Amino acid sequence: MPANQPLWLRAVIRLERAIGEPIESAVRSDQYFDLVSTTTRLRRKVTGTAEGVSRRCLHLLNLPAGSDIRNLRHQLARMERRLNQLSHEVAELDEDGSGPDER
Amino acid sequence: MNPRIPATLNPADLLTRVNRDVERSILRARNGIRYVRGSHRPALGMTPKEVVWKRDKAELWRYSGGDRRYGPPVVIVHSLVSRSYILDLRPGNSTVEYLTKAGLDVFMLDWGVPDELDADNDLERYVGWYLPRALDAARRVSGHEEVTLAGYCLGGVLAALYAAGHNDANVRNLILMATPVDYSEMGAMVALLREGRLEPDQLIDDTGNVPADALYSGFYMLAPTVEVAQKATLLENLWNDEFVEGFQAMATWSRDHVPFPGAAFRQLVDLLVRQNILMTGSMPLGGRQVDLGAVRGNVLNAMAERDNVVPPPAVEPVMQLVGDPARREELRLPGGHVTFGTGRSAFKHTMPKLTGWIIDHSDKPS
Repeated sequence: MPANQPLWLRAVIRLERAIGEPIESAVRSDQYFDLVSTTTRLRRKVTGTAEGVSRRCLHLLNLPAGSDIRNLRHQLARMERRLNQLSHEVAELDEDGSGPDER
Repeated sequence: MNPRIPATLNPADLLTRVNRDVERSILRARNGIRYVRGSHRPALGMTPKEVVWKRDKAELWRYSGGDRRYGPPVVIVHSLVSRSYILDLRPGNSTVEYLTKAGLDVFMLDWGVPDELDADNDLERYVGWYLPRALDAARRVSGHEEVTLAGYCLGGVLAALYAAGHNDANVRNLILMATPVDYSEMGAMVALLREGRLEPDQLIDDTGNVPADALYSGFYMLAPTVEVAQKATLLENLWNDEFVEGFQAMATWSRDHVPFPGAAFRQLVDLLVRQNILMTGSMPLGGRQVDLGAVRGNVLNAMAERDNVVPPPAVEPVMQLVGDPARREELRLPGGHVTFGTGRSAFKHTMPKLTGWIIDHSDKPS
């Protein structure tokens, strides 16, 4: 800690370390790991259930749900990726007859 | 006796101190208002550069500003989890600028910000498709057959796999900066995935990538309260324009993560984290086995002694695994994970040592 720091700042830094070190230990503990994984699973489960309910309701009314839009976006992304890949291949063939070896 | 209080205080000294404190208070108020308003943000990544190659989101930049006395060119491969401007943070505090001004021909391979289109990008795509093409472009533009390949963090893994897996790699020097190979030493954030308490797909969102927020949260949880001390230090130094600018630049970068492509993330968790496969010295990639010992050039394994993102024990095994044992060197630097890009320690130790090593292993100007 630099000697020219004012007392108030040294006090804040000491206090932060006094509180921070136990918190840092806690977030590296098994209990914290369990909490994170449980929370993540629970959140996904709740989101999945809510999505399922809203999808069924929307489909009853013949309306697209968020998951339909998502699937559509994925399909479009796959198509765009393939198009990009093909245009790169064509560009490389145009440049020098052959690109670097595919490995 | 308190060393901060002089034994005698004459009126002239007192007046000087009062004047200084008043001036600083005015500057603090001004900079405080600017900080809260978010105006006067520092410009980042300002070393002049041009895009010399581009495929999808990946771009290869060539920096200018120096006289390019030494060859081969230095190609920096950035990590997949953060923004590359950490290595070119601010004028006067930039590794890229330092290397360029020393006479090196510096390139940066930046991966951009992945979206849905990049969700299927796996490690093969980066190592076997983008990297060879970007390096071909660097060779073509610079007129050199060889390159000095420098990888930062996960970019180091990509660089090492490329150098090891391509007979025509022509990598004269391979510099690995904070490059993790032993994932059993990677700490709490990775342990969740290693122990199977968290599955990769639980972190991947609708776009097929790990969102930037998830990565930020992971880094934040390494030291959740340290921001309090940082803000207090900022308050004390708020009068100092240079300090405030540096603080804002770092704060911007540390919150500015990019999504991690889903396919590469699944592969990383399965092979690197759970199987810790790099510690075996080889890894399957693109349908064949890549042997890390096959790297032909000089290898510099640079690590930061106080790195809490990639701790030194995760990096040290590079010295047993990558390249020819007679051509490996280790560089231990004081400082943390960002010492490769910015900070007082970077300017004092990292930049001169890295630059010196590269120049020692480059062609001398004729």
